[in-house]
Amino acid sequence: MILRAEAVTKRFDDRPVLSRASLTLEPGQVVHVAGPNGSGKTTLARILGTLLPPDEGEVLVDDVPLSERRSQTRRLIGFASHAPLLYLSLTPVENLEFFARLAGARDGRRRALALLERFGLEQAAHRPLAHFSRGMLQRVVLCRALLLDPQLLILDEPYAGLDDAGILVVNQVLAEIRKQGRTALLIAHDKERGGGVITRAVRLRNGRVEDA
Amino acid sequence: MTFLLVMKKDLRLFVRDARFLATLGLFSASLVLILSVAFGPVFTEPPRLAAATVWAALFFAGVLGLTRSLELEGESGAGDALRLSGADAFSLYLGKTLANFALLAAVFILLLPLTAIFFDVGTLQALPGVLGVAALALIGYSAWGTLFAALARGLQARELLLSVLLFPSLVPLWIGAVKLTHAYWGGVPVAEVKDWLKVMAVMDVLGLALAAWLYEAVQEAGE
Repeated sequence: MILRAEAVTKRFDDRPVLSRASLTLEPGQVVHVAGPNGSGKTTLARILGTLLPPDEGEVLVDDVPLSERRSQTRRLIGFASHAPLLYLSLTPVENLEFFARLAGARDGRRRALALLERFGLEQAAHRPLAHFSRGMLQRVVLCRALLLDPQLLILDEPYAGLDDAGILVVNQVLAEIRKQGRTALLIAHDKERGGGVITRAVRLRNGRVEDA
Repeated sequence: MTFLLVMKKDLRLFVRDARFLATLGLFSASLVLILSVAFGPVFTEPPRLAAATVWAALFFAGVLGLTRSLELEGESGAGDALRLSGADAFSLYLGKTLANFALLAAVFILLLPLTAIFFDVGTLQALPGVLGVAALALIGYSAWGTLFAALARGLQARELLLSVLLFPSLVPLWIGAVKLTHAYWGGVPVAEVKDWLKVMAVMDVLGLALAAWLYEAVQEAGE
């Protein structure tokens, strides 16, 4: 899947956050996006993640406008951001199984348990998320993003709250994505944390995407 | 069956929120008690007062329930995850509507004996008719309410906006519910008011049809 943002503009309260920003994500790429706070990194991630429509410009999926195949595209995207996008009164297994089955995966429970084991959460799999620490919650967020073996993984500050072991798992996931010819967009302040898996680095400046 | 998954998830979230359930139950029961004290101790027309009381209590309890239902999606961004699942928007709406219906039906089941005792109305013979009226009214309330709650999502004064939107839109439903409940509790012959059943059924279908047409746009316009 090739996802392309073309001359995308987004304003909040008439203040432009993105201004004719363009970015192409191709298979096998792990793209790191940098930029100061408020530069529009999260807005760009949400637009590419189909959660936010641009005011101007277009997002294309394999040269087809996103608006024409939004539902299908959403099933191919894994998205993790600042907000957990999870139900805090439910357990990790309940959350992951629900979202997997909602997207049509019949083996939701098996997928959930396998991912929780990979992220070292098997002991906490049946405890409500409301009792989780920041780092543990972040691991479940990553499990949700990976639940459907996404073709495009969008990670907005995935290292926040993670310990060294958690960071290692994220980088292993990114390495696998690259190896399997899938795509990842990584938003992180510290590029070094991405280890050697990043294939391209860009920077948001004045609402535009520039090569770093 | 996407809508069943969503309904089950919402009901599970309601059941785990003991504080919300206690608030909802106590609020609606208190309303019935206060109105029965205000209208009593000698009731001039118990079926009319009882019907008005139970439906007024359900309206306000419903606003609380509908607001909570949408908060579940907003609190930690889970609504975005629902959208990202790629699931059909109307199925998501239907699941939430059914969960809201079940919640309001539970409140109605709580209020029914309270109202019968405080106002001394109702017989077992009238029960199936009253339950049928309640089903029609609560389907409509849930159908319209879930749609309007989605519209009010993200606004600071959402409870106020929800009431402002819901009350005038659902006036035919409330009038029908009060008149038919009044009749089943012996106030007037049911035949005199049975046309309200058609009005309520039309409101139910209209609410669901409107949601089928609009819900996806409302869901995507959340930003």
